[in-house]
Amino acid sequence: MIGFAGLSHLGVVSAIATATKGFEVIAYGDDFALCDSLNHGKPPFFEPGLAEVLASNQSRIHFTSDPSEIGKCEVVYFSLDVPTDENGSSDLSTLTKLIEGIITFASDSAILVVLSQVPPGFTRKLARRIGELQDGRNLQLFYQVETLIFGRAVERALYPERFIIGSHKPRAALPKAYAKLLSGFDCPILVMRYESAELAKISINMCLVSSVSVANTMAELCEKIGADWSEIVPALKLDKRIGPHAYLSPGLGIAGGNLERDLATVVSLANEVGTDDAIVDAWISNSHYRRDWALQMIHAEVISHSETPAIAIWGLAYKQDTNSTKNSAALSLIDALKPFSIRAYDPHVVLDVEIGPNFSQSASALEACTGVDAVAIMTPWPQFSSINMAEIKAAMKGRVVLDPYGVLDGNACAQAGLLYFKLGSPALGASEK
Amino acid sequence: MIKHLELESTAPARVCVLGATGFVGQDLVRNLKASEVQVLPLSSADLDLTKPQSVERLQRTVGEKDSLVIVSAITPDKGKDVTTLMRNLVMGQHLSAFLEETRCAHVVYISSDAVYADDANPVREESCCDPSTFHGLMHLARERMFAAATRKAGTPLVILRPTAIYGATDTHNSYGPNRFLHTALKEQQIKLFGQGEEKRDHLYVRDLSRLTSLCLERRSEGVLNVATGHSISFFDLAERIARLCENGVEIEGSPRANPVTHRHFDIGAIYKAFPTLVLTALEEGLAESLAGIKRASIG
Repeated sequence: MIGFAGLSHLGVVSAIATATKGFEVIAYGDDFALCDSLNHGKPPFFEPGLAEVLASNQSRIHFTSDPSEIGKCEVVYFSLDVPTDENGSSDLSTLTKLIEGIITFASDSAILVVLSQVPPGFTRKLARRIGELQDGRNLQLFYQVETLIFGRAVERALYPERFIIGSHKPRAALPKAYAKLLSGFDCPILVMRYESAELAKISINMCLVSSVSVANTMAELCEKIGADWSEIVPALKLDKRIGPHAYLSPGLGIAGGNLERDLATVVSLANEVGTDDAIVDAWISNSHYRRDWALQMIHAEVISHSETPAIAIWGLAYKQDTNSTKNSAALSLIDALKPFSIRAYDPHVVLDVEIGPNFSQSASALEACTGVDAVAIMTPWPQFSSINMAEIKAAMKGRVVLDPYGVLDGNACAQAGLLYFKLGSPALGASEK
Repeated sequence: MIKHLELESTAPARVCVLGATGFVGQDLVRNLKASEVQVLPLSSADLDLTKPQSVERLQRTVGEKDSLVIVSAITPDKGKDVTTLMRNLVMGQHLSAFLEETRCAHVVYISSDAVYADDANPVREESCCDPSTFHGLMHLARERMFAAATRKAGTPLVILRPTAIYGATDTHNSYGPNRFLHTALKEQQIKLFGQGEEKRDHLYVRDLSRLTSLCLERRSEGVLNVATGHSISFFDLAERIARLCENGVEIEGSPRANPVTHRHFDIGAIYKAFPTLVLTALEEGLAESLAGIKRASIG
């Protein structure tokens, strides 16, 4: 029996993925209504494929708000997402409280695994604390790197590229029950000391941020000198040192919370121990800078020409296939355009906070375009790509389309009479202005 | 970045402008009066900030309901040396002594983009402050002085860092729009350093006045760069002015004495602080400046 304590995004997805691999799972969360809802096949958030795998594996997973049920489990994961503030700093208090509470219910030889996003040093410190709480038991503690990606969480949980395990004895074999569980996922298992595993997760994210920062920096240059980043990317991906799966898509800054957390952790740790973090500061600065791309374009192309500008915003989520709006570029843009009329549409996000008298949410992407000067496609939902350009043009008062991620066909937009802007590319349709 | 202490625009009770007869001060006073704001303009003739007695005079003149705009400085055209730096710092010392002891409604300090490192591109409010000139060092030192003094008194302070400013009434004859417009009109000639490759952002003086007024109305606090976000080369600028003057202006290069440097601004913070503010396009600002210079020469 495998246990999960903590039913946020990470815990829910991981517990269901484990059940999908054929293991019996008990998943604990202190919210009775949430457990009841999950036991009836209803996940609390949108994630592609999640409802389906939950439905087909419901018999092997039991969600409970009774922590004593964790006592039946051989392996117990602590799987609560660690919240961050606007600077990316983690608040570990809820996780710590959860762990201390659950340990009292753990069986005599339980294998405890921290899956939550913890900073380097956390697991070693926790191991010492568990030593104090053993009470004659033989509890063992491991740290396991999570690589959850919003919008691809189910796929990532079911088919991990590898497991990275932090152990107090990295050269010793993993306990039988834990090894059996991990081998069920059929991927390489890398065991290392706690601190290495904790830093491995952050290192992966730093590599991703580095790639995205390169893409953002070079894409901006492309926009200014008439080059097209999308023509350059295939050349990079054929380079073996870069590779076909490299993160080379320019974007509107880092969002979602996880990468920001790791950036903040590295800066904090480097300051504490006195290592050089100048490059991390530069990545953070670049991320903030590119977040304002749409705002800069709207001022240059719309606000400077129109006394009563109206803007349509397609997409509110921080990226496609999720309803998370954490650090979303769309919300940042809306906040900076409050005096102007804004009509927003997102297929999965309905904002329940008061934005202001000039803000409204539309029932469809096309409806949002009615009478606007510009459309900004802030989340690359794939369904936007099937919307007819002529209908967009007909609905709009102006003709500016900001499509940072290239959801629409730029040339078709220009042919339809729209003035089209994309990250990393020269403007299209400018001659008809 | 700045934040506004007033949620809605609120006319300041009275604005005291120190440095009111200078290029920027004059335009600001004009702008405030046009908006029917009560203004107390003070120049070095009224109040010599290099003298210690100025502290007491300020205490008698400026009250707690007053907003204070500090534009007073000995400008680089009057000296770029250590002596000028020290005189400016003495003015800053006296102003600090006043600000420390007297709580005002609001203080606006007109600083300069010279506080930034020469290679800080694009310049943002978070960019590295590493001035390469005594003028920039003076502004940075004064910023720190005024920040410490106003913090002690509990007075909100906004620091504006404008880039190079142009306008018809400029007297500094600085390299750029001001000098180019005058020499184009008088001598039908514009002389460039090198071939005028350097790119710079040029701010119309009226935009600085408008933005200062907006900060006063919202009692803004923090640091804000003031620029247009569009940089052009001095050669392009010269060509535009030559076209505008329509008198056969010749543009002449010269052997380059210094390496080419550029300056660009990211003005996202202005967009966020004042979303409806539209800054004057360069062509429009140059045309108005030219018309102003012509009117002055006739008058």
